[in-house]
Amino acid sequence: MTDAILSIRNALKTYGETNALDHVDLDVAEGEFLTLLGPSGSGKTTLLTAVAGFTQLTAGTVSMRGANITSLPPEKRGFGMVFQGYALFPTMTVGQNVGFPLKVRGVGKAEIRDRVKECLDLVQMAAFADRMPSQLSGGQQQRVALARALSFRPQVLLLDEPLSALDKKLRADLQWELKALHEKLGVTFIYVTHDQEEALSMSDRIVILSGGKIQQAGDPETLYNRPRTGFVANFLGKSNFADAKVLAHLPGAAACDLGGAAVEIDSPAPPPVGTTARVALRPERIVLGAAGGPGVPGRVAQISYLGERAQLIVETDTLGPLLVSRPTWKAGIHPERDLPVTLTWDRDACVFLEEA
Amino acid sequence: MSAPKTAPETVPGGPASAFRIAMGTGGWLVAAFLALPILVVIPVSLTDTSYIGLPKDGLSLQHYESYFTSARWLGGTAASILVGLAVALISTVLGAAFSIGCWFLGNRAATIARWVLIVPILVPPVVQSLGFYRFWVTLGLIDTWTGVILAHTLLALPYVSISVFAALANLDPKLPQAARSLGASVWRTVWEVVVPAARPGMITGAVFAFIVSFDEIVSVLFITVRRVETLPKLIWEGIQDNIDPTIAVVATVLVLVTLVLAGAVAVRRT
Repeated sequence: MTDAILSIRNALKTYGETNALDHVDLDVAEGEFLTLLGPSGSGKTTLLTAVAGFTQLTAGTVSMRGANITSLPPEKRGFGMVFQGYALFPTMTVGQNVGFPLKVRGVGKAEIRDRVKECLDLVQMAAFADRMPSQLSGGQQQRVALARALSFRPQVLLLDEPLSALDKKLRADLQWELKALHEKLGVTFIYVTHDQEEALSMSDRIVILSGGKIQQAGDPETLYNRPRTGFVANFLGKSNFADAKVLAHLPGAAACDLGGAAVEIDSPAPPPVGTTARVALRPERIVLGAAGGPGVPGRVAQISYLGERAQLIVETDTLGPLLVSRPTWKAGIHPERDLPVTLTWDRDACVFLEEA
Repeated sequence: MSAPKTAPETVPGGPASAFRIAMGTGGWLVAAFLALPILVVIPVSLTDTSYIGLPKDGLSLQHYESYFTSARWLGGTAASILVGLAVALISTVLGAAFSIGCWFLGNRAATIARWVLIVPILVPPVVQSLGFYRFWVTLGLIDTWTGVILAHTLLALPYVSISVFAALANLDPKLPQAARSLGASVWRTVWEVVVPAARPGMITGAVFAFIVSFDEIVSVLFITVRRVETLPKLIWEGIQDNIDPTIAVVATVLVLVTLVLAGAVAVRRT
C-alpha cells in the first residue's frame, strides 16, 4: 500500500508464554477510519498501545510514512489518544485540559485561547470552558477528551473504547458525531472496540482480531456478507452453521448436499469436489414459508419478540435448530410456537468458511 | 469541641424519652471528660501562687509575664516552631516523592514499599528513639538541630505518605498515558498532572508532620543534651524540676492558638 500512513510489520508481543500479538502485519491508509475489533484478550488494545508507544513490541516494527518509530517514546509520536475512562486532568478546567498539548508545545497564549475555543466548538462544549471535569457528565467529558486529543492537530487519532462507559442512547449519538468529525477533519482514526455494532456503523475498514492474530480485514459489508472463518461469522452478527458436501463445481457456484437436500451455493472459489465444508447462513436471510412447500421443513420452537424484528428458533430434522430473524411487519405467516414451517434461502445466502 | 447532637430538646418532633435523656447525658459527660483536662490549664495559668494549683486569693498574670520575658521559654517555642516547619517541608517533599513514585509504579514492589514506610507508626516510640540514639552517636548528630530535624522527619514521613496516597487513590491510572500522548515528557507529566492532584494530600501531610514534630518528646530526650531544647522538652523539665505554673501558661497559649486555628479553618470551610 503506497498511501499508508502507518505500517505495522511482523508485530510480536509476548507476556510469558502467551502471545498478545502474534506476528501482526497491518497497513493503515491515510485518512481512513480503521476499527480494531475483537473480544477481550484478542490483542486489539495491545496493538493500539504499541502504535501509541506505551507497549514495547517483543519483535517487529511500527513505521509512520516510512520512518521507523518503533522505539520512539509516546510523547514524540504526536498521536492524539482518547481513553475509555476519559482521563481528563482533574485539577485543570476544561479549557486548560484542551490547551495542555499546546502549552506543552510552547504555543503562545493568544493562539492557545483561539485553538481551545475552536476545538471546543467542534464538540459543542464551548460553553463549558471554565468548568472542572468533575462537573461534567460522562458524555460531556468524552467530548472534552476528544477536543483535547485533536487540539494539537495530530495526523492520527487513537481511540481506546471511548464510548464503552456511556449508556446506549448516548453512545449512538456520539457514534454519529465521531463519524461526522472524522469526515470533517480527514484525520486518520484508529478505533478499538469490542462492540460489533459500533464497528459496523462507523468504520471504513474493520480488522477482526482473535488470539493476537488478524482473522480478517475489510470494509464492513464484505466482512458481514463474506466472513472467511466461523469466528468472524459469529462475532460480527449471528450465524447458523451447517456442513455442506461439495458434489460438483458450477460456474461461480457449487452444487452441494446440505443435510440431504441438494442446493446450489454461490462461491467464486468453492472447496474441492468431494470435500465437506462448513457454511455460514445469516438468520435474516432465511425465509419462512408455509409447511409443505419446497425447502427445509421444520417447526417453530421458540419466539423472541424484539420490536421491529422477531427472532425464532426453528427446529429442523436435517440441519438441527436454526436461528431465523424476521421483520415483524412482514405479511404472510404469523409464526407461533409449534407451527410447522418450511425454510428457504437464496443461493448467495450461504458462505463457505475456511477451517479456523 | 462540638456539642453532642443527641440533646433531647433539639430533636424535632420526638418526645423526650428515657432513652434520649440517657444518650444526651452520656454524650455531654463524654464531652466534658474530653474537654475538662484541657481547659483546667486556663485557671491554673492565672494562679497567684508560685506553684501549680488553682488561684487562691485572686487572678494574676505574673506567669504570663514570666513566659513572655523568659529567653529560655521563648527560645524553646521558636525552636519547636522552626524545627516543625523544617520537618514539615522536608518530610512533605520526601513523602510526596515516595508516594507519587509508588503510584506511578503501581505494582507489588510499590505496595511492599508502602508498608515498609508505614512501619515506624507501629514501632513503639521508645524503641525507635533508642535506635536513633545508637545511630546518631555514630553519625555525630547527638545534641544537634540537624539530628532532631532528621529524627522528626523520619517519624513524620509515614503520615505524609499516607495522606498523599489517599489523595492519589482515586486518580485515574491512565492520566500519565494521556499526558504523554498529548506530548508531555514524564517529568512534565509528574509536575503538571500528578503533583497538582496530590496537593491536598501534601498540605494535610505537612500539617500532620508539623504536629508530629511539634509535640514529639521521646526521641528529643534520647538524642539531645543541653544545647538543643524544644518546647515539649522544656515543659517536661519544668514539671520535673520546679512545678512552675509557667507550664500552664504555655499549655493555655497552645490551646488558644489551636482553637483560633481550628475556628479559622471551620469558618473558611462554611
